[in-house]
Amino acid sequence: MKKVNILIMITIVLLIGVISIPVVAADKLPVVIGLQGPITGAYAIEGEMAKQCVEIAASLINEKGGILDGRMIEIRVVDDACQPKAGALAAMKLISQKDVVAAIQTYGSSVTQPGADLYEKFKKINMAYGAGIVELTRKGYKYFFRMCSSVDKQGNFFANKVVPLFNAKKIAIMHDNQSFSAGLAEYTKIGLQSKIDAGEVEIVYYDAINPGESDFAVPLTKLRETNPDIIYFTGYFPEAALVVRQARNIGITCPFIGGDSAINSEFIKIAGLEMAKGCFMTQEPMPSELSYSKSKMFLEAYQAKYGEIPSSPWAVYAGDSLNVIAYAIDETGSTDSDVLVDYLKNKMNNFNGVTGPIGFDERGDRTGTLHTLYVVNDKGELEIYNP
Amino acid sequence: MKVFLEQLLNGLTTGSFYALIALGYSMVYGVMKLINFAHGDLFTLGSYLGYTILVLGTAYTTSYLGLWGGMVVTMLIVATCLALVGTLLERIAYRPIYSSGRLPLVVSALGASIFLENSIMVIWGARPQAYISEVIPAKILNIAGLRISIIQIIILILSFILMSILYYVVQKTTFGAAIRACAIDRNTAALMGINIGTIIFFVFAVGPALGGMAGVLVGMYYRKITFIMGWNYGLKAFTATILGGIGNIPGAMLGGLLLGVLEMLGSVYISTAFKDVFVFLILILVLIFRPTGILGEKVAEKV
Amino acid sequence: MTTRDIINNIKQTVKTKQKWPIPVIITLFVFFPILINNSYIIDVAFFLGFYTLLGLSLNIVLGEVGLFDLGHMGFAAIGAYVTAILNTSFGISVVILLPVSAIAAGAFAYLVCSPVIHLRGDYLCIVTLGMGEIIRLTLVLNPFGITGGPNGVFGIDFPSIGTLFVVDNSIKFYYFIWIIVGFVVLALVRLQSSRIGRAWNCIREDEIAAESTGIDVRSYKLLAFVIGAALAGVAGNVYATKLMIVSPESFDFMESCLLFCIVLIGGMGSIPGIIIGAAAISLFPEIFRTFAQYRMLIFGAAMVLMMIFRPEGIWPRKRGAIELKSIMTKAGTENG
Repeated sequence: MKKVNILIMITIVLLIGVISIPVVAADKLPVVIGLQGPITGAYAIEGEMAKQCVEIAASLINEKGGILDGRMIEIRVVDDACQPKAGALAAMKLISQKDVVAAIQTYGSSVTQPGADLYEKFKKINMAYGAGIVELTRKGYKYFFRMCSSVDKQGNFFANKVVPLFNAKKIAIMHDNQSFSAGLAEYTKIGLQSKIDAGEVEIVYYDAINPGESDFAVPLTKLRETNPDIIYFTGYFPEAALVVRQARNIGITCPFIGGDSAINSEFIKIAGLEMAKGCFMTQEPMPSELSYSKSKMFLEAYQAKYGEIPSSPWAVYAGDSLNVIAYAIDETGSTDSDVLVDYLKNKMNNFNGVTGPIGFDERGDRTGTLHTLYVVNDKGELEIYNP
Repeated sequence: MKVFLEQLLNGLTTGSFYALIALGYSMVYGVMKLINFAHGDLFTLGSYLGYTILVLGTAYTTSYLGLWGGMVVTMLIVATCLALVGTLLERIAYRPIYSSGRLPLVVSALGASIFLENSIMVIWGARPQAYISEVIPAKILNIAGLRISIIQIIILILSFILMSILYYVVQKTTFGAAIRACAIDRNTAALMGINIGTIIFFVFAVGPALGGMAGVLVGMYYRKITFIMGWNYGLKAFTATILGGIGNIPGAMLGGLLLGVLEMLGSVYISTAFKDVFVFLILILVLIFRPTGILGEKVAEKV
Repeated sequence: MTTRDIINNIKQTVKTKQKWPIPVIITLFVFFPILINNSYIIDVAFFLGFYTLLGLSLNIVLGEVGLFDLGHMGFAAIGAYVTAILNTSFGISVVILLPVSAIAAGAFAYLVCSPVIHLRGDYLCIVTLGMGEIIRLTLVLNPFGITGGPNGVFGIDFPSIGTLFVVDNSIKFYYFIWIIVGFVVLALVRLQSSRIGRAWNCIREDEIAAESTGIDVRSYKLLAFVIGAALAGVAGNVYATKLMIVSPESFDFMESCLLFCIVLIGGMGSIPGIIIGAAAISLFPEIFRTFAQYRMLIFGAAMVLMMIFRPEGIWPRKRGAIELKSIMTKAGTENG
C-alpha cells in the first residue's frame, strides 16, 4: 500500500478514536462534582465502595431537592487505578471539564499527591478521603482539604495510647516503603522518641517488605529473633494478610497491630478467620461504629441499595466529602473556588456529617479526629477493643 | 545456627519455585532461542486453575478423594492443561513468527504475556483469590527444634523429584541428548535426523506444566494469588535462568535454588528492603565476569 | 553557513527520504491544539510526544545498532530525577536543567554500560533489565534522603525563560515537546545518513564483519547508548516539569517493555514508524477506555497479531538501496 494511504488510514482511525471520547455535556444545570478513585486495579474494592458512598450521599441530597435552589448533584467518576501517573491524568481530565466544581480525591497518598499539585495550579477545590501523609498539608496548598486523619496523629496515638496498653517494651515496626506506610512508620518512631530516650521502649525491628511480593518468611524470621512484644505493620491489606499468616506459622505469637489500611474484609478472607481474629488495628471510627444523627440515615440508605453497610471508613469519608462540599456550595450560594475555600476554612461551623462534626483548619486538615484501637472478633468483624 | 537453618529452608523453598519456573524459561530458550515472556503468566494460570479445582470444586475433589488425593489430582489436571496451553501458545503466537527473526518474537512474547495476564483477570476477577484452609495440609512439624511446615516439605520433595526426573531425562536418555543437540544447533540437529517438531512439543509442554505445578504449590504455600503475580515470579525466575546459564537445564535448577538462597542472605544480612538490589547486582557481576552463567559453557560464535 | 545553506541542507535531507506529505503533517501538528479545544486531549497529545521522544531515543540503541535494551526507562528516570532534585533543592531553572539532565543520563550510561557493552544480544537484554530495576529500586530506597523514596519528588517548576516565556498550560507543553521532537527528528535523520549512522547499521547487520572493516564496534555501541540515554534524559526532564512530580513507579520495567514495543511495532530504525508506534502504544489504552476490562486483552492480542502479519512494523525503514543503483547494474536487494 502506498505510504500516503497508510497515513490517511491512520489519521482516520485516530480521529475516530478522538471523536469517541465523550464530549462534555452542554447541559449546565446539574452541579458537577468529580470523584477520582481506583476503580480498577489492586485496590478496586476501595474505589468501588467510595463511588457507591458518594453516589448514595448525592442521591440523599438530590431527593431532598438538591442544592442552590433545585440543582441536582451529578457525580463524575475518573479512574486512576491507584497509580500516580494515572492519577495525574485523571485529575487533568476532571480539571479540563469546565463544569466540574470540585473534586473528591482518591485512595492512596502517592496517588493523591500529583492530583493535589495539579488541582492547586488550576485552582480547583479537592478533598482527599484516603491520603494520610503529612506532607500534603504542609506545602501551603490553598485548595486542598483532607477528610481523613494524618499519619502523625496516628503515629502519636500508637506511641502514646497503644504501646502502654500492651505494656510493650520492645516494638517491631514493619512498613512497605510506600508513601503512606513509610510515613506512618516514621511518625510512629518520632512519636516514640521521647520514650526511647527515657529508656522505656526500644524499637527492635524497623524494616520494609516489598509490596506485591508474597514471601515474607525470611524477614519475619529475622523479626522473630528480635523477640518483640508487639508488631506494628503499617502497610496495606494485601500484604498484611500474608504477613500475619506467615508470622503465626513460624511461631510469632505477639499481638499484631495494623495501621489503618491493614485490615478489611479482604484481609480476613486471605488470612483466614482463624488467623485474623485477635488482630488489632489503629483506625479512625469504622462505619459500623458511627452513631451520629446523620450516620444512621446514610448507612441505612447504603444498606438498602447494596445489602450491607460499607466496610471501609475511607469510602464513608468520600461520601462525607460530598456532603461538606454540597453544604458549602449551598450555604455560600456559589460555586467559586475561592469563596468556598474561605467558607470551609474560616466560616463553617456546626456542620455535622456522617462521620461526626466537620471543620477544617488553616492547612486544610480536618479538625479533631479520633483514633481508636480495633480488634477482629470471632465473627470476623472489627469492633472497638475493650480490654 | 538453628535460625540460619530455618532461613536456609525458607530460601530453598522460594528457590524451588524459582527453579521450577526457570526450567521452563531455560528449556524454551535453549531450543528455540526465544525468551518466553508469557511463561510467568502460565505459572499464574496454573495457580488459578488449581484454585478453581481445589477451592471452587471442593465438593468434588477434597471430599471424594481426601486432602492428599485432591492435591494429586489437581496437580495432574493442572499439568495436563498447562501442557496444552503451552503448545497452543507456541502454535499461535510463535510458530508463524520464527521466520521473521528474533525481535518480533520478543514483541509477540510480550503481547502474549499481556493477553494471558488479562484473560486471567477477566475470567477470575481482579481481586486476589485465596486457597482456603480446608484443602491444604496445615500441620507444622518440629524436627530437632526446627519449625517446618508440611507444605514446605511437600514443596521441597516434589520439586526435587520433578527436577530429578527432568535431569535424568535430559542428561541420561537419548531423547534428552536430542534436546541438548537442538539447544546447541537446531539446524544441524535437524540434519542429523532429529525430529524438531517433537522436541518443540516436549519443550513447550513440559516447561509450562512444571510452571503450572509450581503455581499450585505457590497457591498452597502463600494462600493468596493475584493475576499479576506472574510478573514478579517470572522476572526472578528469569534472573535465575541467567544465573545458572541460559539454555542449560541443570543450570536453571541450580540458578533457581541459588537465587532463593541469595535473596534470603540479602534479606537477613543487609536489609529486606535492599534485597532486590542485591540480587540484581549479583546478576550483573556474574554476567560481567562469567556471561554464560555458572554452569553455562562457552559456545564459539560462528562467523 | 548562511541561513540559505541551512535551509537547503534541511530541504535536501528531507527530500531524499520517502515522499511523505510533510507540509500536511506539520500543519496538522501546528494547528491541532487550536482545532481541538479540550485540555485532556491535548494532554494525551503531549504524552504522545513524550513517548515519541522516548521511542526515538531507544531507536538509536535498538533500531539503529540492534542492541537489546530493556531498561531504557532507567535513563529517563535519571533525567527526570536530576531535574527534580536540582530544581527543588537549589532552585535551578528547569530549562537550564534540560541539557544537564541529558548530560547526566548520558554520563551514567557511559559509566554503567562500559563494562557490559561486549555482551551478546540476550545477555545485554538481561543486564539492561537489571540496571533499569536497580535504578528504580534505588530511587525507592531513598539513599541519602534525596530521592524522596516512593513519594518521589514534587513541586517542580514549569519551564520558563525569564517571565515572558512560561510553559504553564497544556497547549504550551504540547508545543514544547513537539518542538523538541522536531529538532530530534531532524538530528536523527542527519545521523542516519552520516558515517556514524552507517557504522551503526553495519554493526546491527553483522558485528564481526563490521569489526573487520575497521569500525571500532565498542566505541560506536557506547556512543549509541550515550546518545540514546541523553535523549531519554531530555524526555525525563520534560516529563518532570509537566507532571510536577516524579515517582519511581513511572519508570518501571513495564514502561521499558512498552518502549521496546514502540520501536518494534513502529518499525525498527524508522522515524515515522516510531511516531506511529508511540501513537499505538499510548493512545490505544486511552481510545479503548470504554472497553475497560477487555482493553489490555485486545492490546496484547493486537501485539501478537501485528507480529504475525507485519513483523517489520507499521512503517518500516526503507534501506538505502537507492544509492546502490548507480554502482551496480542490477538493483541491490532490499532488507525489508
